[in-house]
Amino acid sequence: MSSEDLQETDTEARFEFKKEEKSAFKSDKGLTEETIRVISEDKDEPEWMLERRLRALNLFKEMPMPTDWPGQPDLSEIEIDEIVPYIRPDIETRGGVDDWEDLPEEIQDTFDKLGIPEAEKNALSGVGAQYESEIVYQNMKEQWEDKGVIFMDMDRAVQEHPEIVREHFMTSCVPPSDNKFAALHGAIWSGGSFVYVPEDTTVEMPVQAYFRMNSEGMGQFEHTLIIAEENSEVHYIEGCSAPKYSAFNLHSGGVEVFVGDNAHVQYSTVQNWSRNTYNLNTKRAIVESDGTMEWVSGSMGSKATMLYPSTILKGPGATDNHITIAFAGEGQNIDTGAKVYHNAPNTQSTIESKSVAKDGGRTNYRGLVHIADGAENSSTAVECDALMFDNESTSDTMPYMEIQESNVHVAHEATVGKIGDEDVFYLQSRGLDDDDAKQMIVNGFIEPITEELPIEYAVELNRLVELEMEGSLG
Amino acid sequence: MSTQVHANLTEEQVTEISESLGEPEWLLETRLEAFEALEGLEMPDVIRTPGRDWTNLDSLDYETLVDPLDWAQEKDRVDADGVDVLSWEEALDEHGDLIEQRFGSVIDTERNYLTALSTALFSAGTVVYVPEGVTAEDVTIRTEMNSRSLFNYTLVIAEDSASVAILERQSTGEEMDGQRYYSGVVEAVTGENAHVQFGTLQNLSEETYNYQVKRGHADTYGSLNWIEGNIGTRMTKSSVETRLIGDSSESKIVGAFFGHEDQHLDLASRVWHEGEHTTADLVTRGVLDDVARSVYEGVQDVGEDAWDTNSYQRENTLMLSDESEADASPKLIINNHDTEASHSATVGQVDQEDLLYLTSRSIAEEDAINMLVEGFFVPVLDEVEVDELREDTQELIADRLRT
Repeated sequence: MSSEDLQETDTEARFEFKKEEKSAFKSDKGLTEETIRVISEDKDEPEWMLERRLRALNLFKEMPMPTDWPGQPDLSEIEIDEIVPYIRPDIETRGGVDDWEDLPEEIQDTFDKLGIPEAEKNALSGVGAQYESEIVYQNMKEQWEDKGVIFMDMDRAVQEHPEIVREHFMTSCVPPSDNKFAALHGAIWSGGSFVYVPEDTTVEMPVQAYFRMNSEGMGQFEHTLIIAEENSEVHYIEGCSAPKYSAFNLHSGGVEVFVGDNAHVQYSTVQNWSRNTYNLNTKRAIVESDGTMEWVSGSMGSKATMLYPSTILKGPGATDNHITIAFAGEGQNIDTGAKVYHNAPNTQSTIESKSVAKDGGRTNYRGLVHIADGAENSSTAVECDALMFDNESTSDTMPYMEIQESNVHVAHEATVGKIGDEDVFYLQSRGLDDDDAKQMIVNGFIEPITEELPIEYAVELNRLVELEMEGSLG
Repeated sequence: MSTQVHANLTEEQVTEISESLGEPEWLLETRLEAFEALEGLEMPDVIRTPGRDWTNLDSLDYETLVDPLDWAQEKDRVDADGVDVLSWEEALDEHGDLIEQRFGSVIDTERNYLTALSTALFSAGTVVYVPEGVTAEDVTIRTEMNSRSLFNYTLVIAEDSASVAILERQSTGEEMDGQRYYSGVVEAVTGENAHVQFGTLQNLSEETYNYQVKRGHADTYGSLNWIEGNIGTRMTKSSVETRLIGDSSESKIVGAFFGHEDQHLDLASRVWHEGEHTTADLVTRGVLDDVARSVYEGVQDVGEDAWDTNSYQRENTLMLSDESEADASPKLIINNHDTEASHSATVGQVDQEDLLYLTSRSIAEEDAINMLVEGFFVPVLDEVEVDELREDTQELIADRLRT
């Protein structure tokens, strides 16, 4: 989609429409061993995967709900037994078709409205689209396939690349014991993407996956596994949305990224879940020598988000960059941040966080930087800026720094302020009205993030911000 | 929950302390309430991150550390014109009603296990009473600890428009085998337009475990400034806190610490903005050598009604040894948008360029490092208004650098 087209579209309508729920298979509500077995059987999974699911289920049952983090979102409304963990949409081809025309009309229509097929033509190397619990569309341009790049549905990868998946899937990167929702994810994961980039290969245009929840009360638990071998480069983009229902939805994705020697992976997310969605994800990358990991996250939607993409800088000279923006409006609690472990010498990280809170919204930056003994000559710079619109909103900043090595540079800075009356006055005196002036200030505030995204996404993000701002300013 | 202390502690011991000090009934009751509460109380909060406790208070052997009936100490109190600087006995005699009214009005005696323990067992301490309108500068208190354990409670009452600068030095006298425990509580109750500066220079022996809580309320137009020099102890867990309750009130919390060998210093500066037009400035600088460890937590909490708040926080740690560790968590909690707030924290080594500059001017490397460390502390020492406190702190830093 060109940026002009995007501007003409009504963004709100594009995200908020609902489709009648139509599925080929829908699990019962709740979470029991029986449910897990049924899901695994429906997917025709190997025994080892079933065993991992069951082990994760046990961990999930044992682990306590996180309730004592200062200022964290209230999760008490989440009743796992009310969630429908698995819905297989009514399509014939498992693992997704490779032509939009082959999709049932209402699913095709959904993604058309979201602008995905257009974007694929113009700006992307490959696209995956998940509807409910399964990938329904997956395609990658031939030139990449020829170079040995793999971009497929995660369920299919379990069948077609069992060795590689078995080695990397929720083992060393995100084990199910990491946290309660990682355990939940490990038990009932479904869909998501598997990306494999061979040595010395640069995938020039981004690959994208789009996740859409359509049914009320469902949970989406897609798993993304990215393996970038030595000297390779890839940019993965994730987009998420759901229409709003009265019952809550739960999204608990898992992302594991393996960045090889001197490889470069960028993972960008623009999340616009509906305001009834709990968005509780675990995302982590392990970076080898001289590799680079970049996380770019825009959290616009959801009722509550708890997301702290983390990076383990394992090899000497590895680099991590985090750029994150959070925008919390009425009733939203966006609790996000970053975690970086410097475990080798000469490693570098930067974290840049911007948050906007308005109409009673709550944003929280929660981050951890750990520099291990021996990670000499490492440096980290953390910068958090928060903008507040009104007195009903809350903005917290809670960084944690653990420094076990002396030969380091560690800097953390944070500021919180209100939107400047002088800035607004300046713009108004140049003929802009109050709304436009404030919108312009916010766009300027988040610009460091938008300029990291391909133009289509930057435009998208700006549109979402405009939407948040429209008519609600006094 | 660690229960070693009160397993051996009895109501009779608490009563004995109170009786031997000739205390009124209400204070004995306060002590006994704190004693009874011990059972259900938790240790002070410590920061925990995945796989890591920043400070471990549960591992201490309180049973051997605490001897409730032995409180040998030496105390010097230097008063100033118009200010009463009194022992508890004298103070209860002269200002009994006032103390009954103000004691525990700022510090919740049951905020955690160690504070309740301190309330139940305190036998040493000082009451500073500054009457309305009195201005005094040179109140000094010196506490020299000579027993296994010492529980010290300082109550500062500054009436409306009173102004006082208090300097407290904590040190150890007689040497003793084995570990020791010092517990210090400072409660500052201040009136409208009162200005209180409380400086502490802690240089207890390095066998001492140390728990300190200092807390005060700043009233309208008032100011409450804390200055913290932490040099001694094996382990310190300290929290310095101001609630800016009154409109236009201000607080500054300035800290300097220098850890070496296996010292563990867990220091917190916390401020709550509650009134309108309040200002806070938290500045801490610290140096770590050998295998010393520091934990710093700074909290700037801006309440919903705290319109027009200004709040700043800076923390810098210098690591002289590769085996040392520095943990820091500067927190901002903002509930009012009419706020200018910022914080920053850094950790690093002596700047190599600065070092080269000095060594190239034929200053020996060791001397050059010492100069740079002394220079590193200058920004916090500049904030210290009491000359004596600044000079003493400088001296202790210089001593440590040259041992």
